[in-house]
Amino acid sequence: MILNDLEIAMLRGDHGVVVKESIEFQIEVGSFFGAKEFVPITNAHVMGDIEVMGDGGLGILEKMSNSEVKCRVPTSSNARCMHFGDFDNLRADEVEVQKERKIIGYLKDMNIVPTDTCINYQTVYQPKLGEHVAWGDTGTVIYANSVLGARTNYEGGKASFAAAITGRTPAYGFHLDGCRKGTFLVNVDAELNDFADWGALGKIVGHPHQDYFAVPVFQGIKEIPFSDSLKHLGASLASYGSLAMFHMVGITPEARTLAEAFKGEVPNEVMTVKNSDIDAIYSGYKYKEGANNVVVFSGPQLSLFEVQNLANLFKRRKVHKCMTAVITTNHAIYSDALRLGYIADLESAGVKILQGVCFYILQRLSEIRKENDWTNLISNSGKIVNTITAHRFNTVLRRTADCVDIACTGVLK
Amino acid sequence: MSKLISVKRAHGPSIEGQVLVMREGFSPRYDLDRITGIISRIGHSVEGESVCNKILVIPTVKGGVAGGWAFFDLLYKNISPKALIFGKLNPVMVQGAVLAGLTITEGWSEDLLSILKNGDRVRIEPEKKRLEIFSN
Repeated sequence: MILNDLEIAMLRGDHGVVVKESIEFQIEVGSFFGAKEFVPITNAHVMGDIEVMGDGGLGILEKMSNSEVKCRVPTSSNARCMHFGDFDNLRADEVEVQKERKIIGYLKDMNIVPTDTCINYQTVYQPKLGEHVAWGDTGTVIYANSVLGARTNYEGGKASFAAAITGRTPAYGFHLDGCRKGTFLVNVDAELNDFADWGALGKIVGHPHQDYFAVPVFQGIKEIPFSDSLKHLGASLASYGSLAMFHMVGITPEARTLAEAFKGEVPNEVMTVKNSDIDAIYSGYKYKEGANNVVVFSGPQLSLFEVQNLANLFKRRKVHKCMTAVITTNHAIYSDALRLGYIADLESAGVKILQGVCFYILQRLSEIRKENDWTNLISNSGKIVNTITAHRFNTVLRRTADCVDIACTGVLK
Repeated sequence: MSKLISVKRAHGPSIEGQVLVMREGFSPRYDLDRITGIISRIGHSVEGESVCNKILVIPTVKGGVAGGWAFFDLLYKNISPKALIFGKLNPVMVQGAVLAGLTITEGWSEDLLSILKNGDRVRIEPEKKRLEIFSN
C-alpha cells in the first residue's frame, strides 16, 4: 500500500505503539484485498462486547485504554450483550457483568461514546452521500451504503477500533466505485405491508446470494419505504447473504434510474419476488411442541416509531402466562419512550424492555433459553430468526400484529 | 500422490492439517457454540462436530461482524480452528483471521466440496496461493 507522511509516521511508531499496531493490522487486511491506499474516515462505529470478544479481546481493549490512545474521529459503540437492570430470567453472569462494565470504561477512555446501539444511522449519525466511514455492524453497514450513499465495509472486531484510532481505513470493497454497481436485478411484484415482509424479502434474495460483493437492485417498489422498512430489509440481506449494499430504483441515492444502479452494465441474473414467495417464507416456519415460548422484537433495535406502534398494539392487553415478550432498543429511544408513556403501556402489558442490547447477542443466551424452558422464538425480524440459531431456538417469522397476538394469547398461529 | 489447487487470495503462514468440510455458509455466531467449539446450529451439515484444530473448508459466509473477535476468542480458549479455506468470504473473516493469526484463503480453482471429505489432510501454502491435498 502507498502511505502518506502521516501514515508512515504512524507505522514508524511516532504516535505510540497502539497506533502502530492498529495501522499494521489495517495494512495486513488491506493487502489481502489488494488495497492500494488508505481513505480518511469521518466516523467510526465499534463492535465489542464480552460475549463475542471474550477475555482475549478484553485484554486487547485494556492495552488500548492503558496506552491512553484516543480515537481520531467521532466514534459510537454497538449494542451490548447484557441489560444492566432487573429481569432475573434474562440475567447475565455476575463476573461477565463486571467485565462488560470494564469494556464500557475502556471505550470512554478512548473517547468513544458508548451509545450501545445498532441503529446509529437512525439515532446518532447519518453520513452523507460519498462520505467514508468505518462501521462495525452489518445492519449499519448495509444501511449506510445503500440508503445514505455513504461508503463502508464490514469492520469487525479490532478492525473497527483500528479505524477509529487511525482515522482511516484501507480503500477496498465498498469504498471504491467499482464495487458499488448492481450485480443482479430483483423485480418486486409483492405487497410489503409489514417489517416482517421486508425481512422475508431479504431472506428470499439474500439466502441464495451469499456473496459479500453481490449487490441486488430492487425494482418495482410501489411506495417510498419507511426507514424502518429499509432497516429490516438491509439487516435481513446482510444476515442471510452477508450482503453489504443494495439499490432501490428511484429510492436510494445511487439508483435514480435502473441504468445508474448498474452503471451501464447488464445484470448477471434477474429474479422476481411475488406475494406467493413471501407467503411461502411464513409457511416454511413450523412450530415445535413446547409449553413456554418467547416473542422478541429486536435485531435491529427498535426505533421510536416501532416502540410507539407496539405500545399501541399491547395497550390494555396482557402477555399470556406461557409467553414472554421482549423488546430491545437503545438508551436514547428508551428515554424518549419513557417520557412519552410508551414504556408504561408496554410494561403494563408485561413486556420486558431491554436497553442498549440486542437479544441475539445476550450473554449466556443458551442457558437463558434452557432456564426459561423456551422452545419457539417468534419474531417480526427476518434477521433474528436467522442469527439466533446457534442457541438452538426453533425460530418462527410472523408479522408484527400477529406477534403481539401470539404473545397475548399464547396461541401459536 | 497429492493434488494441487490454486486459490485467489491467501494470508498467513503455511500450515497442514485435517479438514472439516461445511456444505453451506458459516458464521461463528449463527452456527457455533463458542464455549465448546462445537457446531450447534440445528441441521447444519457438520452439526455436533468440533472446529478445534481443524482446517475449515467453507463455501460462503453468512452475516456478520462477530468473526472479527470470535476467532481470537476461540484461540484464547484453546478451541480455535487451525485455518480457514473459503470459497467466498467477507472482510470480517479476514479481519478475524489476521487478529487470531490464522491462515486464511479465498477462492478455489476446483470445487473443494466435491473433492474433500471430513478428515482429509490439506497443506496450505499462502505464498504460492495454493493448497495441496494428500490422498489417503
